[in-house]
Amino acid sequence: MNEQNMNPAAVQPDQAAAPAKPKRPKSKSQLMAGALLDKAYNDTMEARARGEKIGWATSLFPQEIAETLGLHIVYPENHGAAIAAKKLAAPFLEYAEAHDCNNDLCSYAKIDIAYADIFDCSPASNMAKPDFLLIGNNGCNEITKWFEVIGRKLEIPTFMIDFTYNHMPYVTDSRVQYIKAQIEQVIEALSAFTGTTWDPDRFAEIMRVSTENRNLWEQVADYLELQPSPLSGFDLFNYMGPMVFTRGRRETGDVMRQLIAEIEEHIKNGTSTFPAKEEFRVFWEGIACWPYLSHNLKTLKKYGINVCATAYARAWSLDYTPGDIESLARAYAFTSSNNILLEESVRRRKEWNTKFHIDGTIYHVNRACKVMVCQQQELMRQVSEACSGLPYMSFDGDQADFRNFSEAQFETRIEAFAELMRKHKEERRNG
Amino acid sequence: MLTMGVDIGSTASKAVIMEDGKRIIARQLVAVGTGTRGPSEVYKKILEEAGVNRSGIARIVATGYGRLTFAQADRELSEVSCHGKGMRFLCPRVCTVIDIGGQDAKALLLDDRGNLENFIMNDKCAAGTGRFLEAMSRVLDVQVEDMGRLSEKSQNPVSISSTCAVFAESEVISRLSSDEKVEDILAGIHASVAKKVSGLAARVGYRPQVAMSGGVAKNKGIVRAMEQELKCGILVPEDCQMAGAIGAALFAYQDMTRHESAADERAIYRKGEKDDE
Amino acid sequence: MANLQEKLQYLKEVAGNPGKQLAQYLRQGRQVIGTFPYYTPEVLADAAGIVPMGMWGAQTEISQARKYLVAFACPIMQSCMELGLNGTYHGVKAVMIPSMCDTLRCVTQDFKLGVRDIACIPFTYPQNRKIPAAAAYLKAEFTQVKERIEEIYQVAIEEEAVQKSIAVYNEHNVQMRRFAKLANDHLDVVTPIVRHEVFKSAWFMTKAEHLEIMKEINDSLETLPAHIFAGKKVILTGITAEPEGLLQILEDQNLAVAGDDLAQEMRQYRTDIPEGDDGIGRLAGQWMNRTDPMAHDDEIKRLELLGNLLKDNDAQALIVCLMKFCDPEEYEFVAYNKYIKSLGYPVLSIDIDQQPGAYDQARTRIQTLAEML
Repeated sequence: MNEQNMNPAAVQPDQAAAPAKPKRPKSKSQLMAGALLDKAYNDTMEARARGEKIGWATSLFPQEIAETLGLHIVYPENHGAAIAAKKLAAPFLEYAEAHDCNNDLCSYAKIDIAYADIFDCSPASNMAKPDFLLIGNNGCNEITKWFEVIGRKLEIPTFMIDFTYNHMPYVTDSRVQYIKAQIEQVIEALSAFTGTTWDPDRFAEIMRVSTENRNLWEQVADYLELQPSPLSGFDLFNYMGPMVFTRGRRETGDVMRQLIAEIEEHIKNGTSTFPAKEEFRVFWEGIACWPYLSHNLKTLKKYGINVCATAYARAWSLDYTPGDIESLARAYAFTSSNNILLEESVRRRKEWNTKFHIDGTIYHVNRACKVMVCQQQELMRQVSEACSGLPYMSFDGDQADFRNFSEAQFETRIEAFAELMRKHKEERRNG
Repeated sequence: MLTMGVDIGSTASKAVIMEDGKRIIARQLVAVGTGTRGPSEVYKKILEEAGVNRSGIARIVATGYGRLTFAQADRELSEVSCHGKGMRFLCPRVCTVIDIGGQDAKALLLDDRGNLENFIMNDKCAAGTGRFLEAMSRVLDVQVEDMGRLSEKSQNPVSISSTCAVFAESEVISRLSSDEKVEDILAGIHASVAKKVSGLAARVGYRPQVAMSGGVAKNKGIVRAMEQELKCGILVPEDCQMAGAIGAALFAYQDMTRHESAADERAIYRKGEKDDE
Repeated sequence: MANLQEKLQYLKEVAGNPGKQLAQYLRQGRQVIGTFPYYTPEVLADAAGIVPMGMWGAQTEISQARKYLVAFACPIMQSCMELGLNGTYHGVKAVMIPSMCDTLRCVTQDFKLGVRDIACIPFTYPQNRKIPAAAAYLKAEFTQVKERIEEIYQVAIEEEAVQKSIAVYNEHNVQMRRFAKLANDHLDVVTPIVRHEVFKSAWFMTKAEHLEIMKEINDSLETLPAHIFAGKKVILTGITAEPEGLLQILEDQNLAVAGDDLAQEMRQYRTDIPEGDDGIGRLAGQWMNRTDPMAHDDEIKRLELLGNLLKDNDAQALIVCLMKFCDPEEYEFVAYNKYIKSLGYPVLSIDIDQQPGAYDQARTRIQTLAEML
């Protein structure tokens, strides 16, 4: 990253860790994103202190509902990711496993179940104690059971929307009606429980703002199409916080607009946030290895590998008609690769691989995430075949449990993969 | 009355002979376990040491992995029960027993009367067991017996985070090639095992006094790391490796005396009858 | 009594030889549909004369299935994939797979794409059952299943036939519940292994056939004088309590199974198909009424269920047969472990797997429990 192009006033040294080497300073958009997230956590704390009811929600639960009701929500999955990224997960994982949590459970769940006893994870941001839980199972089924445990532990109500699993290439009418009825029921029950009022106009407005933010998010992701990319795809992981927490708010649009401005600047100057010469463009399949982000980036950078596409980030790219609950239902029911038939997942990846000029796919075999991993093997083969033998590799890791990863394995496999991609590119060039 | 306890583990065969359930009069260990010459050899040796033959032993109880195939046993009991009983004999106020054996690890909770209240065993996984330490000793080219002593020199323990034994091994190898000191890596390995095993202790609801048994307990590095995790002192009795066999011998004695006291009761009852007549 | 032993022996053979059962039905010209764990609308297939056969995996090495499922996937799913891929299920025209958990979601796709000679009929139960719209959704889902069965098997599933099948299934429930009760007065005859064989065999026969045998077994048991069991009694909970090698350990330790909350066993028979207008509506109603960890519920009724099983059957301990990598069950454990212990019962956890191998650790754990009681 070229520091000459940064507003010097905005550049601040990284406060998160005491590194051996100086880390590159965060961009203004990154700082804004971080600030937005901090504010969301703080606002929730303050709301609770004022006596307002606050909630925890699953990351793909329709944020439009709480946002319309003016309720403050925090997201345990992102919270777990932050704890893991800051390398604070150990005591939570150990606590959970010492209190009846099987080692096999999702590592976000383990951290959160421990947190729901301890309620302190400083220096990471704390989540306020919840008064209610919002559950959507479009990301996975396991999260329903996880939140049930929290609900019982804290003796608070859960409001659930069952998005079902789609084994047809579209959301069937029966599903839409079921989901719509659940959404309406949640709106009624949640507003009654929290003493808030549902305003359909505000709902439509929030969906409009969310759509605006979604378009900006898509625009950001689309910059990765350029060759070389002006953006390190890994950076997008840093903006997931606002996209989950506050995608219904105007301030999120500000962050995206700032990021777009920075990217445009890079394009103008022929620079990139990717810290090396881009040799290979890959699709990163699965959640990030949060405790090892910098190790992963360092290893990829060594071989000039830029992550130019992910499925994960796109899940928050929801397309619907403002004010229309049915279209909201459809969008949320069909957005995540985790509850749609495999053929659709393959189709999307083929589209993205073409659009982003992908040279290969890296599959994170995430010990914490069975819903992704148990269809991953077939996905690997089908995507590769659909994309004319596109190379792929996998490595063993975990989104938040730092004990389930081997730096040596990752490095060895990435090195071999770079060779594989190099050969494949040559073969393609030579016809 | 002499009773014998035989503990046939995966990596060693142990036997004790006790007198009246109070004194250990013979103890033997053969460093091979179930399925080998170990069981028969330890049996022969213990009788020799005590200077008796089979008829001089009132009862034999077998425990451990190989208990089912030890033909000379009158009864077999699980090693969990026997370890608990044996450790209670060696440390009369112990409440929590942590045993790290060759192939598994377990944590036991005893009530005030020394009976088993709760127990947890590790899942099918090498990472918190003697086997893991053996694998590490090969990578580091040290003797398992020296690991504890060597790790004492560590000034900057290295962190080994993987719970998977295979991953941990590759972590150790990469540390070695980065020129980290062997003692620091050893300290890291000990910390890693301690973390895994203290998880078991936490799950069983450990409370002091805590004692350790099993071959791995002889490794002072592991014991120190465990003390750090559990935040309390850990006793490692001299005869800790024999705990299973001791417990088995004690159960054998219990079987015999319960029998006797039942017979006594019947005698008193009959005497009472006679008096009434 | 001889008749009783004959019947039990027959069920033992059925339970141990699903392959033979399949071959037999095919020879008889019957069509067979596979039912994946652990609730399916098999009544619909039964109504059309198709034989539903449960797919509960097997003790088998995994090789081909490794192409689809990682080592930390549900053992039953791994072995079902293996058996599908290696041709063991050949002859079964289709399988019904409910996407009840994350691994099942994926297996609907893995099986569909991997096992080419068997059609896959996936469907999804509503987990949010409190809302009226859930029933309408499930009816639509079952209708879709019905249509696919009709298409694949070239049959017509008539309403009258469905109602008749429902009656048979409900009668069967009654007899299975009766058996569970009677078994406790005859634990000398109904050992843990025998008990399991009775339950397992139900998966490899038509319900009508199994019903007839159960009536006879129950009637015979009723004529016998009650047996006072000298050992200790336990309750089992989990997905399955298999294989027999494991149950043998219970027998060796003089432990009897006095009741269960196992997906493969009593969970199937606690809830009848309710009254209603149409068959599909009634089948949907049964799911709505079930107490089950796979549905979303705020209160965990399982606590009450397990507590009552222990109390009502004079059992001394709960043995959790924890299917490896089964996250829904792992979460429920967090709730009921504490609760059951607070009632004063010991809770023992053993790992259930489907890899052929030794049960040394399970033996030690179960034996230690027995020694503690």
